[in-house]
Amino acid sequence: MHGEYKMPGGKLVVADLDVRNGKLTRVRISGDFFLEPDSALTMIDIALEGLPANADSTQHAAVLRAALGPNVLMYGVSPEAIAVAVQRALEPTS
Amino acid sequence: MSRTGWNDYNWQLVHALPQPPALHMALDEVLTDEVAARRRPPTLRVWEWSASCVVIGRFQSLRNEVDAEGAQRHGIEVVRRISGGGAMFIEPGNTITYSLYAPESLVAGMSFQESYEFMDAWVIDALQGLGIHAWYQPLNDITSPGGKIAGAAQTRRGGAVLHHVTMAYDIDSTKMLEVLRIGREKLSDKATQSAAKRVDPLRSQTGLARADVIDKMVTTFRTRHGLAAGRLSADELDRAKALAASKFSTAAWTGIVP
Repeated sequence: MHGEYKMPGGKLVVADLDVRNGKLTRVRISGDFFLEPDSALTMIDIALEGLPANADSTQHAAVLRAALGPNVLMYGVSPEAIAVAVQRALEPTS
Repeated sequence: MSRTGWNDYNWQLVHALPQPPALHMALDEVLTDEVAARRRPPTLRVWEWSASCVVIGRFQSLRNEVDAEGAQRHGIEVVRRISGGGAMFIEPGNTITYSLYAPESLVAGMSFQESYEFMDAWVIDALQGLGIHAWYQPLNDITSPGGKIAGAAQTRRGGAVLHHVTMAYDIDSTKMLEVLRIGREKLSDKATQSAAKRVDPLRSQTGLARADVIDKMVTTFRTRHGLAAGRLSADELDRAKALAASKFSTAAWTGIVP
């Protein structure tokens, strides 16, 4: 499943994932955004792995924000924007 | 960290003969680390390419960005850089690419947006000197009435900041769209651009040869901030060649975001 979201005033966020037993799996976030340090991308994928697919994007964003903590710097991307891309992957027809 | 200024440093220019894409990726990593370790003064490096390539950003999906079949058909190598941002389509002579390596104190206390604008200021000055009404366009572009001119990307490592920029001199957009996937989507809703065969804001707006545009840029930097002629050390080049082989030429790195 594939979802894309252009964050207003930011960059493109892409989510590729599957759902198994109601949970997100094989989550891959990508895009033309900026993250410091670069290892934060793996932290994002790991934080999303296993989350309930029926949670709303606010809940996904809250999990991401908590997992990344204050030391990850984001430019052109945010936990909320990533959560929207995930939501779009989950609802490809909407 | 207290803020330093451009003119607190003895800037050095490195402008070597054409080098392969993976070596350029490696040089950015090595020279950023050299400046962080204070073994090298802050440096402006102008790139010359020995081969066509696609350079994707650190966080981009290889599969989503690159049409592997199209790239192979045109003999275009794909490499991944250490900074974020978007994909660039490079053919020797069709872009102007440069890197700035500086202590992070040069942008201390700035937001990302402020640091991009700050690091781009000298080149906007150079473009205006060439008669182009250019400006910084957040988050990371330089644009003009004739369209986008350049995209910048930054990363920070060990106390140094790398700020590199690729400017469109004269790009074959037909070929670009056969190699890049996202470009196709981005252009699909811009009728004026989808008809264009060339994306040539620098060539068409200056009427100058690529080398003359580079000369003007270097002169502008030298006038504003000082710039001494320099070169890569044998050690830097050896380390970059080793890193190009062990990291930047590998499928593991290029496909790190599959």
